[in-house]
Amino acid sequence: MVSDAQAVQWLLYGGAFGLVVIGVFGLLALNNAFRLLLALIILESGANLLLVLSGFREQGMAPIILSTQAQAGIMNDPVPQALVLTAIVIGVGVQALALTLILRVKQRYQTLDMRQIKALMEKDISEQHQVAHLSSYESPAQISAGRESDKA
Amino acid sequence: MNELALLVVFPLLGAFLLPAIATISPFISRYAGPFILFTVLILAASAYNTVALSPAAIHLGGFMAPLGIVFYIDPFSMMMAVIIALMFLLVWPWKADTPVRLHSLYLLMAASSMGLVISGDLFNLYVFYELLAVSSYGVIAIQSSRSAPAASLRFVFLSAAGSVLFLTGIAIIYTLTGTLNLAHLSMLAQGQLNNFAAYAALLLMIAGVGVKAELYPVNSWVAEVYASISKPLAALFAGLMSKLAVIVILRLIWMMQPDAQFLHLLLILGMLGVLSGELVAWKANDMTRILSFSSIAQLGLVFIALSIPSENGVFLAVLLMLHHWLVKSGLFLLITQLHADPTRLKGLAQASPYMALTFLIFILSLLGVPPFPGFWVKLQLVMGLSEMQQSIYYLALGVVLTATVIEAAYLMRLIKQMYSPQPAAMPLPLQTVNSQQRIAQFFALILVVSMLFFNPVNQQIKQVAAMISDKVLVIKTVYPRYYDSHHHLQQQASLDKQLSSVFEEQRL
Amino acid sequence: MNRWSLANFSALIFALGLAVLLFAVSVQLPLANAPMLVGNSIIAQGVADTGAANLVTAVVLAYRGLDTLGELSILFAAAGVVGLLLTGAKAAQSPLPAGGFVVSSAVHLLTPLLFVVGFYIIFHGHLTPGGGFQGGVILAMAFFLPYLVDYKPLQQEHQRLTLIESVAGGSFIVIGLFSLFSGQAFLQPFLGHGAFGNLWSAGTLPLLYIAVGLKVGSELSSLLINLLHAEDE
Repeated sequence: MVSDAQAVQWLLYGGAFGLVVIGVFGLLALNNAFRLLLALIILESGANLLLVLSGFREQGMAPIILSTQAQAGIMNDPVPQALVLTAIVIGVGVQALALTLILRVKQRYQTLDMRQIKALMEKDISEQHQVAHLSSYESPAQISAGRESDKA
Repeated sequence: MNELALLVVFPLLGAFLLPAIATISPFISRYAGPFILFTVLILAASAYNTVALSPAAIHLGGFMAPLGIVFYIDPFSMMMAVIIALMFLLVWPWKADTPVRLHSLYLLMAASSMGLVISGDLFNLYVFYELLAVSSYGVIAIQSSRSAPAASLRFVFLSAAGSVLFLTGIAIIYTLTGTLNLAHLSMLAQGQLNNFAAYAALLLMIAGVGVKAELYPVNSWVAEVYASISKPLAALFAGLMSKLAVIVILRLIWMMQPDAQFLHLLLILGMLGVLSGELVAWKANDMTRILSFSSIAQLGLVFIALSIPSENGVFLAVLLMLHHWLVKSGLFLLITQLHADPTRLKGLAQASPYMALTFLIFILSLLGVPPFPGFWVKLQLVMGLSEMQQSIYYLALGVVLTATVIEAAYLMRLIKQMYSPQPAAMPLPLQTVNSQQRIAQFFALILVVSMLFFNPVNQQIKQVAAMISDKVLVIKTVYPRYYDSHHHLQQQASLDKQLSSVFEEQRL
Repeated sequence: MNRWSLANFSALIFALGLAVLLFAVSVQLPLANAPMLVGNSIIAQGVADTGAANLVTAVVLAYRGLDTLGELSILFAAAGVVGLLLTGAKAAQSPLPAGGFVVSSAVHLLTPLLFVVGFYIIFHGHLTPGGGFQGGVILAMAFFLPYLVDYKPLQQEHQRLTLIESVAGGSFIVIGLFSLFSGQAFLQPFLGHGAFGNLWSAGTLPLLYIAVGLKVGSELSSLLINLLHAEDE
């Protein structure tokens, strides 16, 4: 049978990596834009959890010094906690941005299905590249009229 | 030396303060950004001379590495810093009605680009990479084209997933070693990082960063994003941003020094990128699309170069990146105002012979026609591949040559269109040359000058690249006291032992 | 989930492959005895170097201050983009239903408490768990809650928040630049360590955290206000 320590290890790492795998699967398989955002959030939680785990010590205390006298006991690693602080804030920024983009896309295309959004976007791109040109040049008749006056 | 932190900090300060300055004085806020970029350009250029022979390390916050974050200043990073400042100045949105937040976003992109090329700390690279990503999501999303929000959303999902994979890799590396400093990690690479977990972490990190580096197969965002943004911005993205991501991958590979199988994987991905890019570009009939996929292919070449071990691979990758920067940015700037349909290029040669000449210079150099620089670059790549004398590298050589043939097919088509006479019923392809196209002509001039002086330029780049790969030099710069007391760094055994003494010695 | 296409299936295969890879990695990873090369040194010398009791704060603001600055910039970029994308004529006229009696009395009770707790956490970041980000998020709630009770965002309020955000962010960098221009490294702590455990100790660290807290608070609240009033159709 597995020992306690091994079971704890499998549980913790299984949780963190499991979240990562669920997030990746969600990003690949889902079609609704909002659900894709949720999958991304789950993915980020998994990575953050993994980072926090790297600072774990058995029976370790929080890395806060209580008095300047000699410290008894083991402390957890403060560095991963600082890294995760940064990573969470970064994640919040990206998620807010993604949410705003979903709102804008919904306003424009009236759908949240990524396949339809992709199709509509490609239609927009191909229209864009033809429409932009015709609006900035004169009509053919004016050009040939202009050239005749140049020759004269 | 410490003031070189300003390369990153000054644009950040400008970005933060611009919204407040704009409410007080709109005039200052219009020119603050370019002023900051110009100052940073001068700073980087003067630093290039100082560190040309001996690089320097800045320990931020006064805390010695590996406790604190270290910036590693060497000629390569200063050269890239000059290029970054120059590119941002050239594509700066000068129009009077641009919102001040957009200026802030450009400054943030510039600051993070600087940070990416000089940082020597793994997590710091992640933070700057994210800053670059988030500000570029924003800049793409507010473009005026109708497809911009959707393209940005799709890019966000792909790129954010990549960033999280990057973070997962960092977490694994930290769990294995307990440090985040690149130089320190390179010392530990043969010991703690020589196992399956570390290689998996490296794979995750490269897959993550590869999104921005247009690595196959996570490069599905390229065509739609480049088609949805303005051409000068596309010049910035294709010419500069992708290179920064490749530089991050370069640092990761330098740190881990993976064995041959991993490099073969990179080689295969590079070959797939080259082939897929060239084949789609050949079928495309939209100028932006052609250039986007050509850029994917060229970056595939960079990955092929990176998979050549030792400093030759680094040199070839840097050379390819610099050449591609000049050509691709120039091409994107050149096609502002031109119609997307290549058949509408007819008559360009009559309308503006200099414009057609510029176009010709770029195309011939991209293809690799002598005597243009592109030829010498590709030739050295081919020679480097054949020196490896392994079948997979010969395969890559074949792929490179095949790609050149396919490139010739679609690029020659463009040249033919340019120099054909204009059909009567169509409007002129070009009326007056605009400022971006003048900048493109300037890039072509640089290309021609470097063609005339190719040998000295080549040697200089070789020297600069050799300094990047020189592990002992890096360790000597970042950990001078450790190096002094362990002269025999060449011997691997003494590197792995006494690692804890690094800290004691740094504190003395 | 009733029609599993080929794409879904290949996504499942890919995810399973990734799961196997990560499982193999986790077997090799040490748990609870990672080599704390940097961590041990920071625990040993953190107080001597910075004067802060909370070592995580010491890492966030002193040892890795530049990462914190980068993180602030990311939040600034995200909030700025949200503002650019969502402001417009439509946004200002969104007809939100006014909060009822329960919501408004709860908000009136909570807002001063949130301010106090938020500032407490920010000021004590170097002594107890917490700091600028955590307290800043609470402050953001304090700024934002009144908007749930029938408050229309005036242009001046948005401008005020932007001003606080800009000045707070700028002052973080300016504090760091003080050290740079007096000959030391960027973001090097100065101002003396003070007595350990006092509120006024740890040099510039509490000042940096106050800047962070104000910036995060104003930024997140303006982001939330923009999202709240965004037009849906």
